[in-house]
Amino acid sequence: MEPDSAAGAGGVPGAAKALAIIEGLGGAANILEIEPCITRLRTEVRDGTLVSEAALKSAGAHGVSRRGTIVQVIVGPEADVLAQDIEDQLG
Amino acid sequence: MSVIVASPVTGIVVGLEGVSDPVFASAMVGPGTAVDPAREPGEVCAPVSGVLRKLKPHAFIIVTGEGHGVLVHLGIDTVHLDGDGFTLLATEGDEVLAGAPIVSWDPGSVAARGFSPICPVIALDATDDLLANRFNAGAVDVGDPLFSWN
Repeated sequence: MEPDSAAGAGGVPGAAKALAIIEGLGGAANILEIEPCITRLRTEVRDGTLVSEAALKSAGAHGVSRRGTIVQVIVGPEADVLAQDIEDQLG
Repeated sequence: MSVIVASPVTGIVVGLEGVSDPVFASAMVGPGTAVDPAREPGEVCAPVSGVLRKLKPHAFIIVTGEGHGVLVHLGIDTVHLDGDGFTLLATEGDEVLAGAPIVSWDPGSVAARGFSPICPVIALDATDDLLANRFNAGAVDVGDPLFSWN
């Protein structure tokens, strides 16, 4: 059960999953903030219309909840590790 | 082997449909139930025995020997309280027994600050059919069984 990698149910390795989620959120330039909660990534984006729920789900998200530019990506308990992988990609 | 998941708090069981956060209400992270805690200072206790895999002031996850992860969330959107009013009584990585105090808080104060103190108790990544003997509504004491996880 050691959370060494964010590889999840979809079997997508951590870095690839992080990239897929960045893509689903409309790309790195669209992401203003990303913060892990215990089972979800709380994100703020520039343009909510660039967010693709379908892409986020195929990246392994259980679901997506959004209110305007605030987008929560529900990823399960690996949220911390995945947020770190995403930060690494965003640089 | 089935695991009995006990109530982490004393209060009233309202079910996930009684939770204002759609992520919990629609069982997006797993099925379970929710308890509206008594409005008095108290402790939130381990619903199962296992390893305290994650611990934040407003939520924690315990993973049992069978590998079942149980999430307890202390109120809704309470991440925004930044831990204010929550005291950690255990450490991430601890082995804990069911009933061990994990966090102390005051649900009345959380409610007074505009947040719902309802506590979802979630069987992470389980499917609905794996849960049995559900206690769906009514008063519970801390330690009373909420459901079993097969």
